[in-house]
Amino acid sequence: MSANRDEDPRIHGIQSKIRVVPNFPYPGIMFQDITTLLLDPKAFKDTVDLFIERYKAKSISVVAGIEARGFIFGPPIALAIGAKFVPLRKPRKLPGEVISEEYILEYGRDCLEMHVGAVEPNERALVVDDLIATGGTLCAAMNLLERAGAEVVECACVIELPDLKGRERLHGKPLYVLVESH
Amino acid sequence: MQNASLESVFYSQKNHISPPFLSPSSSDSLFSPSPERHRVSVATNSGKRSPLNRFNNYQPALHPLRCTVELKQQMATEEAAQIQDPRIAGISSSIRVIPDFPKPGIMFQDITTLLLDPKAFKDTIDLFVERYKGKDISVVAGIEARGFIFGPPIALAIGAKFVPMRKPNKLPETQKFPYKLVSCKEGNVIRVYIASREVISEKYSLEYGTDIMEMHVGAVQPGERALVVDDLIATGGTLCAAIKLLERVGVHVVESACVIELKELKGRERLVDKSLFVLISST
Repeated sequence: MSANRDEDPRIHGIQSKIRVVPNFPYPGIMFQDITTLLLDPKAFKDTVDLFIERYKAKSISVVAGIEARGFIFGPPIALAIGAKFVPLRKPRKLPGEVISEEYILEYGRDCLEMHVGAVEPNERALVVDDLIATGGTLCAAMNLLERAGAEVVECACVIELPDLKGRERLHGKPLYVLVESH
Repeated sequence: MQNASLESVFYSQKNHISPPFLSPSSSDSLFSPSPERHRVSVATNSGKRSPLNRFNNYQPALHPLRCTVELKQQMATEEAAQIQDPRIAGISSSIRVIPDFPKPGIMFQDITTLLLDPKAFKDTIDLFVERYKGKDISVVAGIEARGFIFGPPIALAIGAKFVPMRKPNKLPETQKFPYKLVSCKEGNVIRVYIASREVISEKYSLEYGTDIMEMHVGAVQPGERALVVDDLIATGGTLCAAIKLLERVGVHVVESACVIELKELKGRERLVDKSLFVLISST
């Protein structure tokens, strides 16, 4: 599900602020650069507001953000809806006891970690990242939360690359995006 | 673009004595939107936190040497009030300390537990927002990665743009031209040029290692007023690099803001005449 461009006038402004960078980080990849979105206070605020409006009344107690661009969008949402913010990080960044989830990339593997005790069983959680591509990272994030006993209500991203079919990797969990990029 | 000399900032061992009010320096004052060359020492070496309320009653071009007895009394009262701000205690108690992370001997200040407490997290942001709202700050620069957590909510609330300052090779370029590495004669500056989208870099030394930081040049314009945000200041190396990067493109860094200061590591001194505001000072 994505925000209906025809209904919400803010979407167009948001989309126009996202810059596409060819051949980064590897040749053939069209990188969706959200840093230009962050340079426009109105567009950035609209982005966050669209998520807040959606999740405010959903009894969500946890917003989990994926390092590092999920750290930019997750906390403002968490603050506005009164949820805690849980950073999901690359290995060895979080101090103390963690649980780890390994996942497969196009070239090799990666790993995501979450603090033990950050999330309690039956908490309702939202996972936030700037973008969903193949869905591997989001899938790992969801797994971490579910292993801790939380219920992942939805995944939320600014951008989706629908051609990479990441939506199908989310074990049937709903995905909400503001912008699709083909 | 001038070549930065990092040595004077990083390796100077000069004794820095800081009376409550300093003579005019080169850094911008939070009080005055115009580039007045005055600095009021709102953050002294004793680690006293600056009076928050002061900025709600700001008077333009307040020369520190002309501070009256009345003003000093007002400041003392405001400092006391700020120290008693009930929100600080809650914030402080929500931060946990992890010994021997990332290396033996280091007491790591873990703010993730603060983020698990919605009230404490909100209070943290509110304290910064109250200080910086209406101060004509157009840029909040956040240092990867924990600065990405605190910076954006502040930027959103005060209507500023948010600029991430990142570890190398994270920022995309518009074109991949042949690039060259230039080593500055004086210091450890490494500059990478890629077509017209220049990324500038600073190399700096940390409490536990060395690192390089990057920022998009076009993200900020000369003359903009900026705030630099990170969760914590230790030796001040990271903050110094961030400030240097911003200044190299003509930005006025009006203040650095951190949740925590590790006083004994003397980061505040490393910032020399740059203003620093922290919520919690930890020894």
